[in-house]
Amino acid sequence: MSYTGDAMTRKLVTFKINGSSYETAVREYDVLLDVVRENLNLTGTKRGCDFGTCGCCTVLVDGRARLSCLTLALECVGKEITTIEGLKTDVLHPLQQTFADAGGSQCGFCTQGFIMTAKAFLDEHANPSREEIEEAISGNMCRCTGYIKIVDAIEMAANDKRNGC
Amino acid sequence: MKHIDAATHTRGESQYIDDVPQPEGMLHAAVFGSPIAHGRLLTIDLDKAREVPGVRTILTADDIPGENQVGALIADEMLLAESTVHFVGEPIALVLAETPATAHKAAQMISVETEALPVITDPRVAFEKGEIIGATRTFVLGDVDQAWKDCDVVVEGSCEIAGQEHLYLETQRARAVPREDGCLQIYASTQSPYAVQKGVARILGLPHHKVEVDVKRLGGGFGGKEDQATHWACLAALGAQITGKAIELVLPRHQDMVMTGKRHPYSSDYKIGLKQDGKIVAYEARHYQNAGAAADLSPAILERTLFHSTNAYFIPNVRAFAASCRTNLPPNTAFRGFGGPQGMFVIESAITKAAETLEVTREEIQLKNLLQDHDIFPYGQQVHDANIRRTWQEAEKSFKLKNLQKRIREFNDNHFEKKKGFAIMPICFGISFTATFLNQAGALVHVYTDGSVSVSTGGVEMGQGLITNLAKIAATAFGIDEARVKVETTNTTRVANMSPSAASATTDLNGNATLAAASEILQRLKSFAVKELNLSHPERLTIEKETLLFEGKETGWTWQKLVQSAYFNRVDLSAHGFYATPGVWFNKDKEKGHPFAYHVFGTAAFEVTVDCLRGTYEIDKTKIVHDLGRPMNELIDRGQIEGGLAQGLGWMTLEELKFDDQGRYLSNSLASYKVPDVFFMPDDLEIKLLENVNNTWGPYGTKAVGEPPLMYGIGVFFALQDAMRAFRPEMPLTFDTPMTPEKVLMQLHRDEIEGFKTDSDVMADHQEQPVKETE
Ligand code: FES
Ligand code: FES
Repeated sequence: MSYTGDAMTRKLVTFKINGSSYETAVREYDVLLDVVRENLNLTGTKRGCDFGTCGCCTVLVDGRARLSCLTLALECVGKEITTIEGLKTDVLHPLQQTFADAGGSQCGFCTQGFIMTAKAFLDEHANPSREEIEEAISGNMCRCTGYIKIVDAIEMAANDKRNGC
Repeated sequence: MKHIDAATHTRGESQYIDDVPQPEGMLHAAVFGSPIAHGRLLTIDLDKAREVPGVRTILTADDIPGENQVGALIADEMLLAESTVHFVGEPIALVLAETPATAHKAAQMISVETEALPVITDPRVAFEKGEIIGATRTFVLGDVDQAWKDCDVVVEGSCEIAGQEHLYLETQRARAVPREDGCLQIYASTQSPYAVQKGVARILGLPHHKVEVDVKRLGGGFGGKEDQATHWACLAALGAQITGKAIELVLPRHQDMVMTGKRHPYSSDYKIGLKQDGKIVAYEARHYQNAGAAADLSPAILERTLFHSTNAYFIPNVRAFAASCRTNLPPNTAFRGFGGPQGMFVIESAITKAAETLEVTREEIQLKNLLQDHDIFPYGQQVHDANIRRTWQEAEKSFKLKNLQKRIREFNDNHFEKKKGFAIMPICFGISFTATFLNQAGALVHVYTDGSVSVSTGGVEMGQGLITNLAKIAATAFGIDEARVKVETTNTTRVANMSPSAASATTDLNGNATLAAASEILQRLKSFAVKELNLSHPERLTIEKETLLFEGKETGWTWQKLVQSAYFNRVDLSAHGFYATPGVWFNKDKEKGHPFAYHVFGTAAFEVTVDCLRGTYEIDKTKIVHDLGRPMNELIDRGQIEGGLAQGLGWMTLEELKFDDQGRYLSNSLASYKVPDVFFMPDDLEIKLLENVNNTWGPYGTKAVGEPPLMYGIGVFFALQDAMRAFRPEMPLTFDTPMTPEKVLMQLHRDEIEGFKTDSDVMADHQEQPVKETE
């Protein structure tokens, strides 16, 4: 068994994340989750399984929801990456507000994954049914809430958007 | 009131242990665990692992300076294995390296030589071999042996109840940081900071005061971090003590699943005797708890099984026996409900079987035997404020259950392969730690001169909303805005000797301690203010909306002015509050006492549809009436009910733990262990809160809410059976959980699969099996 580990050559590349450019050294096999959390200290994105099964690590790549634990970092060079930190303004993002209002977050560990998934979905679906919302978040896992308040939150955000608030 | 952390949670700014910037030079730890379930450990080969670049050192049991022991109730569990291993994944060595990836890589290069010993995975086998942890326990009421004679019908049977993986989304983790003068600071994802402090002190041979444990929040716990967070914190602490560097240990999901214990599987036998009219006369249960390889909290969990062996029913003659059986699985541990759910599943199974024999519905028997005020539990406590009938009647009325049942019958008459099923699940859950001494809590409250308030307690926030409730309790007590209150991290230097955040009692205990501290400060403030304002009777002063009132009239003083003047007049603005639940006790020699402050009641009704040719099913309706006392924070409380229900439903239906006979865990990832996803939840879920209930024990009349809703989930099992029975009434059904679609199919079509067999044939087959194996 040959050990490659950290010794393998790193490449200096630039990522576009949340509207800024970050230069960092990555290896071919590094996944986006590691780069975001370890290299760039954007720790809002969480690691729940490292296996593509929980959705905690969801980020947006060119506006589409991707599991960053299964996405090779080098694949994302030149693309727009958005993490939960990228939604920050002075006020809560509408989804953040409805998650807070509806009680869609308990321990909080899954929350940013749901919000990123929901954002990608609502950006493309102005008028979703509850079933469509469920379909959209079916790859995200939450062990605390039983999902009802999460679906409520996304529905509220969709309604608010439609009603222009 | 929203979750106090809602803004930081939704922005991804809430920090969990490994989100906090690393101290300079921090090393990362990875655990090497036993590859076999039972055997002698002959040699450990660390050479290859040591050569991996980036590895600093590798520690084994020999490196432990103090006592190599993490067994809290019974000293039967080592932190790192010495000469014997007892379950797959039992920690043997700890690699410390510059990055997590290096540490894990190196851990994979460790090898051990072992000599296999016999593996036991079945609690009944363990029991026969005398592998019993602690004492067996028996709760007795009346005289069952005499009572069988008075019964018109007596039925017997058995249940195989599966365990459950906690699957908190934040895996086990801890960071240990060396501080000056040989002290250690531990950041742990634990429900029990004091257990971590004690554990680390024991392992390192330090006095408790040299170990400071700090907990900000947990990404879920559910019992899985009550006792079992200690191990990982101890390992990180060991690394920090030896290297002098900060150490972080984060279990990858796979290791978390393999190495940590789960909800206990139980094998149980029951016998129930009734009168023709459905009145239960006698009940006997024997529970064999699969404790895994070490005691952990198993004896305490066993006790709670017995406390809940008759659920919400009064039965005059009861004998409930329970044994904690040592097997070669990871040590099973606390999980929401703490043994209560297993006890309740067995009595519900017994009632189901009795209903079949008497040819009545389950509900007729359930209703006839529901607890009434002053009834006695097998453990000697009388029930007070027995709201169970109220919740049942309220459910019947507001959800029109009679109509529902009628519609279900009509549906079944008109459909062939799709059948609907119905079940009601009443619950009665005792609130308090059954170890009486744990029913104590401390709080430290400071009022700063700007009027803002800091609250520290021994309670841990793990998503259940504790800190939101505490902020509300403190704000209400002082009569000030909630925004003025900050709830601090849970830290062993601010509140000492705390009980774990468990038993649903965290808000009760810590909320009452916070109230005690707040009223101490208030008293001082009022005594001071009456003097300053030239009044008498400090008790006539109140604070409402940050304004000081005397007999309801304004005094011209605001909260801020009050606090500031008090400070300049040297009034102490800090207080420590203490609370010990009054009146709870239990005598283990007699197995009688008054272990619970009160009980939580509720009733759930389920409608399901089963596709009897495919085994698949839907939960159509779930209707719940729940007794919350006077809810403090409905949004949070409802969230607890929904989340608890989801876990209970998952436990009964999807979540299947698979071990092979060599103790290897087969369902060891989220790909092979299925938990409820968003589609799984009932489409039509309605939760009503019982109105006009007060509770003298909870702060401001609230009732504990954490665990009880999980047990509603048990009802879905019986609703599924009801539908299956509608399809093939002649088919004997077994009480084995979880009722996966696969099991639905196998049970309904057992004749085609293995030739038709009656229940007793199947039982006889089971008994023959071990004989065949030894041939
Ligand atoms: S961490 Fe990526 S899906 Fe779980
Ligand atoms: S809020 Fe805890 S996992 Fe979703």
